[in-house]
Amino acid sequence: MEKELIDVDLSMKFDSLSVLENIRFKVHENEFLVIVGPSGCGKTTMARLLAGLQKPTSGHVTMRGESISPKVHNISIVFQEPSCIPWRTLWDDITMGLVIKGVDQSAIKKRAEEVIKLVGLDGFEEYFPKQLSGGMKQRVAIARAYATNPDLLLMDEPFGHLDAQTRYLMQIEIMRIWEKEKKTVVFITNNIEEAVYLATRIIVFSKLPARIKAEYRIELPRPRKLTTPEFLGVRSEVTEQCEVVER
Amino acid sequence: MEEKINREKYKTLGYNVLTLFLFLAIWTLAYWLIKSPFFPSPLMVFNAFLELLIHGDIEDVKLGMHIQQSLWRIFGGFAAACILGIPLGLLMGLYGRVYDSTKVLIEPIRFIPPVAWIPLVIVLLVGYFRFVFIIWLGAFFPIFIGTLLSVRGVNPLHIEVPKSFGASRFYIIRNIVLPSVLPEVLTSMRVGLGIAWECIMAAEMIGGERVGIGIMILKYAQLIRMDAIIVGIIVIGIIGFGLNEIFIFVEKRIFRWKEVVSI
Repeated sequence: MEKELIDVDLSMKFDSLSVLENIRFKVHENEFLVIVGPSGCGKTTMARLLAGLQKPTSGHVTMRGESISPKVHNISIVFQEPSCIPWRTLWDDITMGLVIKGVDQSAIKKRAEEVIKLVGLDGFEEYFPKQLSGGMKQRVAIARAYATNPDLLLMDEPFGHLDAQTRYLMQIEIMRIWEKEKKTVVFITNNIEEAVYLATRIIVFSKLPARIKAEYRIELPRPRKLTTPEFLGVRSEVTEQCEVVER
Repeated sequence: MEEKINREKYKTLGYNVLTLFLFLAIWTLAYWLIKSPFFPSPLMVFNAFLELLIHGDIEDVKLGMHIQQSLWRIFGGFAAACILGIPLGLLMGLYGRVYDSTKVLIEPIRFIPPVAWIPLVIVLLVGYFRFVFIIWLGAFFPIFIGTLLSVRGVNPLHIEVPKSFGASRFYIIRNIVLPSVLPEVLTSMRVGLGIAWECIMAAEMIGGERVGIGIMILKYAQLIRMDAIIVGIIVIGIIGFGLNEIFIFVEKRIFRWKEVVSI
């Protein structure tokens, strides 16, 4: 039976601009939930609300019945924009969350070594972000988010700035990591192929003001192949719901 | 790679030496062409320099003494500007409301040139503090405003990363805001130092003291001794240049993360 982790029921306005309208969904433990929608539809706002970095204008986001807050809950977020701290070495950046949460030194060391290996950055511990490629920097951000063993891992278009090839490799990598350390993930993207490749469940957002347009449970076997008829079938089904056509 | 950088360095040094020689050559040429008792040659200036250095000025105060006094005053004013400007800039940057509510006072004062304060300062202050106050006035605002703006310019994403882990305000200020603004604070200190150096002339000319580079220049201005005046001017330039280089050296050392070469 799926255990409910997060309950969302909210609306969000910026001044008079309505961004999210009656967004209602639940996140279950260990699921890989992908939210897709056209760009500029309020997906990032949704991520920030789930991270507890912002409060909804009305309604709530709760985790196990308690209003979500980074001071109370163990949440991690991977931002869309490059978020490595320029003056911190890779090691110091990745251990940041652990230090903030007051984990003791030896445990920090052990966990950091683990996640650095997981994202394949061993040997780069003393490097500064400026010395790393775009894909490596995003892996640092992912490792940093993973390090704290979050109950909820948020990923806000984490591969949006990467080239197609790196993006594809990162998708494989994130799947490998997820299958190894089953985390609850909410992954936000505007790329439908990426959504179908990763998700156990997809929620489709409409254009601004965003409403939930459709929901899909994706039960394709893993590892998924981007070119099988089943995959393409699901993909075109989701695509029809998304307003991807530019006007 | 290292060798290439070194070769670049020597090349730059060579061009600078060349520039200096060209300048001296043009100066000498101008001396020959103008032939005025008020236009000394580089050699005459050098002789005046030696005289001031070894025997001292008309009141037997040696050049080293003048330099030492001026530096000491600069140090006092500049230190006061940093001690007040940096924390105040940080505070007002972090709490925008404080700045917004005191803007009516801060902004007009910022536009009063330090020189305009001189008559007031002569009446109100004596001795060392006259200098410190004028230099402080000059250096404070670039440092204060520079720090304030740098705090406002901190990348919000860098703040949200620790925030999303539930970090305290103190942690964020210490680990994100401070390291993030440090380069710009140092740059504004460098600007402030330049202005402090400009103010020393004005400050020393009102000081009523006997020692200081500005005073030395003034003494020889009354005698129309151009060679000694030029010595004073050059000394000011060279010391300013030296202080600036020290700052740049320190910056490079501290901010290794900015200097590293990307792959």
